[in-house]
Amino acid sequence: MKPKHLLYLLLPLATLLLHSCDLDKDIDVVLPAHESQLIVEGYLESGKPYRVAVHESAGYFDPPTAPLVPDAKVLITHNGRRIELEYKPKLDSKSGFIYTHSSSEIMAGEPGDVYTIEVTDDSGRKITGSTTILPVVPIDTVEWRFNEKEEREALLLTSFQDDVNTSNYYRYITNLDSLNNGSEQDIYTSDELTNGERVSFGSAYSFDPGDTVIIRLYNIEKQYYEFLASTSNAKDANGNPFAQPSRIMSSVQGGMGIFTNLAVHQRTVIIE
Amino acid sequence: MRSGNNGEALIGATVTVPALNLGTITNEEGFYSLTLPAGEHTVQATYLGFTSLTRQVRVTGNAQQQRLNFSLDTANTELKEVQVEANSLRQKLNDTRMSVEMLTTREAKLLPALFGEVDLIKTLQLKPGVQSGGEGSSGLYVRGGGPDQNLVMVDDAVVYNPSHLFGFFSVFNPDAVKSVELYKGGFPAQYGGRLSSVMEVKLNDGNNEGIRATGGLGIIASRLTVDGPIVKDKLNFTVSGRRTYADIFTRQVNRLSEGQEDYSPIPDYYFYDLNAKLSYNIGRNDNLTLSGYYGRDFFGFDDDDFKFGFDWGNTMGTLRWRHKFNNNLYATTSLHSTSYEYNIRNEIDVFQLSLTSAIRDYSFKTDFDLFLKGGHGIKFGAMATHHHFTVGRLSFQATDSTLNLGAGTSFNAAEFGAYASDDYAVNAQLSLNYGLRLSGFRSNKTYIALEPRFAAKYNLNESTSLKASFASMMQYVHLVSNSGASLPTDVWYPSTAGVKPQRSQQAAAGVSKLFGRGRYLLTNEVYYKWMRNQLDFRDGANLFVNDSLQNEFLFGLGRSYGNEIYLEKIKGRTTGWIGYTLSWTYRKFDGNNPLDDINGGRWFPTRYDRRHDLSLVVVHQLNKRLSLTGAFVFSSGSPFSIPVARFAFQDVEGKGTSIVPIYEDRNSYRLSPYHRLDLSAVLKLKPKHGESDLTFSVYNVYNRRNPYFVYFDQVKDQERNDILGFQAKQVSLFPIIPSVTYNFKF
Repeated sequence: MKPKHLLYLLLPLATLLLHSCDLDKDIDVVLPAHESQLIVEGYLESGKPYRVAVHESAGYFDPPTAPLVPDAKVLITHNGRRIELEYKPKLDSKSGFIYTHSSSEIMAGEPGDVYTIEVTDDSGRKITGSTTILPVVPIDTVEWRFNEKEEREALLLTSFQDDVNTSNYYRYITNLDSLNNGSEQDIYTSDELTNGERVSFGSAYSFDPGDTVIIRLYNIEKQYYEFLASTSNAKDANGNPFAQPSRIMSSVQGGMGIFTNLAVHQRTVIIE
Repeated sequence: MRSGNNGEALIGATVTVPALNLGTITNEEGFYSLTLPAGEHTVQATYLGFTSLTRQVRVTGNAQQQRLNFSLDTANTELKEVQVEANSLRQKLNDTRMSVEMLTTREAKLLPALFGEVDLIKTLQLKPGVQSGGEGSSGLYVRGGGPDQNLVMVDDAVVYNPSHLFGFFSVFNPDAVKSVELYKGGFPAQYGGRLSSVMEVKLNDGNNEGIRATGGLGIIASRLTVDGPIVKDKLNFTVSGRRTYADIFTRQVNRLSEGQEDYSPIPDYYFYDLNAKLSYNIGRNDNLTLSGYYGRDFFGFDDDDFKFGFDWGNTMGTLRWRHKFNNNLYATTSLHSTSYEYNIRNEIDVFQLSLTSAIRDYSFKTDFDLFLKGGHGIKFGAMATHHHFTVGRLSFQATDSTLNLGAGTSFNAAEFGAYASDDYAVNAQLSLNYGLRLSGFRSNKTYIALEPRFAAKYNLNESTSLKASFASMMQYVHLVSNSGASLPTDVWYPSTAGVKPQRSQQAAAGVSKLFGRGRYLLTNEVYYKWMRNQLDFRDGANLFVNDSLQNEFLFGLGRSYGNEIYLEKIKGRTTGWIGYTLSWTYRKFDGNNPLDDINGGRWFPTRYDRRHDLSLVVVHQLNKRLSLTGAFVFSSGSPFSIPVARFAFQDVEGKGTSIVPIYEDRNSYRLSPYHRLDLSAVLKLKPKHGESDLTFSVYNVYNRRNPYFVYFDQVKDQERNDILGFQAKQVSLFPIIPSVTYNFKF
């Protein structure tokens, strides 16, 4: 639970005022010219092919077209072996992820292995980054508790053991019924306050009997945690007068974006 | 010098011997001292809103001391309430002090107020050199300083968070307050501990004549004050309370909507303040006062299986003893305790989360006033404070003990100060005020600093004076807040080995000119302020629950400079002022590595940098019963951070694509200018007993949509949910808001 979010419960008061009086209005804002940067988004997952999305950033009011970079070359290196990814934009219909560069080779890294990425294009832009494969941290229990209401609702509690010897970062996502409808909960946290302890993530009373819940626990890299936190802060700052604007903390150099690996443990439960 | 109506001491009243061109001002206890040559003299006492009094005094040759007491009556017609003796402008002209704004509750009550809630701090924002943090805010930004750089004192006790509800209202119940004085620069040596301003709030002592009730019914809050003597001329009391009542209506709405599908109840919100004061005159030479303040904001929610509560507020207590050794030496000694804390509690099922931050001070203070022959007014004294800081104490546990999580740090620190100053009237033209303050702070490191203070006034002629001042200030406690708004979750943090104290130096020069037969005073002041060790935070800093909060701090430089013009008229049926400020305020954070920089280490404007700031206040007494007031403000758009670019972030499976804004430099965009007109009318009623009035107030008369913030929205196709484009939106806070308040006194 990110306690900061509790603060936003205070906002309804202000929101109430805003909506009742229609105090929103369209204005014209002239932004300084933006020099677009390469954006990379790539997640390595053991047992899955190498797939990466390369885009570029756009001025905020540019048309909302997908800013593809066809001349971008993507190279992933592991133990001196170079894997070139081919430019072939495609939608993975299962995950909904649109990747631009891919290779049919299956990633088979072990915890501790280091992979580096290099993205270049004809205009001389270059992104570099690296990721170290992390071990999966298993969910040890998933439990739920019903409240006393007439129409019973349940809260969900997921627990796992944190490793005392390493500093860890976690991401915890729950989805209802399928992975297509957006998440119920999405928490990312460090083990700063819980090092070596058994950690639990809980929800509010938000589940009904019969719900299918897909629970995923990711053991993530610090650079991924920082990227998630900074993107979330940046999104927050756009529309919340109390939030401070934040720069994106990318895991890559020379552009922006994230190159990391996903060590995930997934469980599916039916609330009953 | 005392008020004839209720026996209260009159502070800053003028005592003059016109024939000799000699004069002085009463101190905080209403005392004054004048050295006169032998002979018969006419001594005149004048005070704002009171009838002047003239008395004869005979001074014999051998140096003897005489006591000459004045008891001034309030100017007796109702009309006179807004009238002020022209002499008070002369008093300002001749005062050695500069950069001081003074306000009485009586004046503030004539001005229009948001929701009809009279607010002394918001009235001070109408003075030049003082900015508001934004729409509706009661934060004070004085000459480029932040709201945490104001030393706010209520009867000498420090107030850490002088606001309610995100800073929309200040904690000062106007009925409990006698006057407010704000120093923007040229700080006398008795003040220290903050960089940018000193605000002294004086509470009413309680009247001497009989039990009296004062109060008001407003649209969002009501207030009641009862004061009077317990033992005539000996023991007076004042008790004041104020509470908002929006929660009564929201609870009603919740009850009516109960059972509705998808209805989410409105949480409770209210705030209240309590002030109490006892004043005991032990004898002719001793006075003891005991005063206290307790105020809380509460925001909460209580459902069957979800409880959420959030409360915050200040608690203060002061015991003060004033002793007069003789006509030339006075002492004030006091003990204070003050605290500010916030608590968040959240309960769901067996899980409980609580988060607390607090600062608690115990202080001892003693101040002496010594009047010496030859026109010296010496002040000296010392203070010591013990601070206890609780920073983000978090506890998260389950009652079935499956879970127990805690965080938080606490610090103890000691702060002290000692000072001496001399207000020296060299001759009728020239007066000087020079002093030195020694301050120190001890936590895991000890800091000691010398703070020189200097002010001078020179009368060019009868109607023109020149003034100059210099002040060096230290600040040892820091407010951790990155919102720009006054959020209750702001945390106070001490100076430590890794966090150096803040320092400022300010130089100011001014000229004052009295004209129009003494009815108008025009003042122009220029100032330049340097600041070191200013605090800001890394991008993405986590200030909420963080045991190594210090690592999020960045330290930088600040500078602010400007020109303030102030024209005031305080006599006649039409009174008011025009204030105009031209100013620049910048900060610079240039660290050892790029992560410690803000805006690449370049100077950048702060949120409260305003190039132009204009305020115009006109009060017109139409007839005995009706007065009308108009207030207009204009200020340049405030700097704001907006994203310059964006990218699409697809995220992992099951999340969906989102648009991530890319922010570059902070405060690189200017919101559109802020301007607003407020009007009010005070209608005196004729009740059988006592006095009463109706105050009508209209905030934002021409319904200007002033910018509160700007954000960039996605324009979506309603059916397919595709993004069609992006649109900048400006959000405003307060449209036109009329209100009415009923005030009474009996």
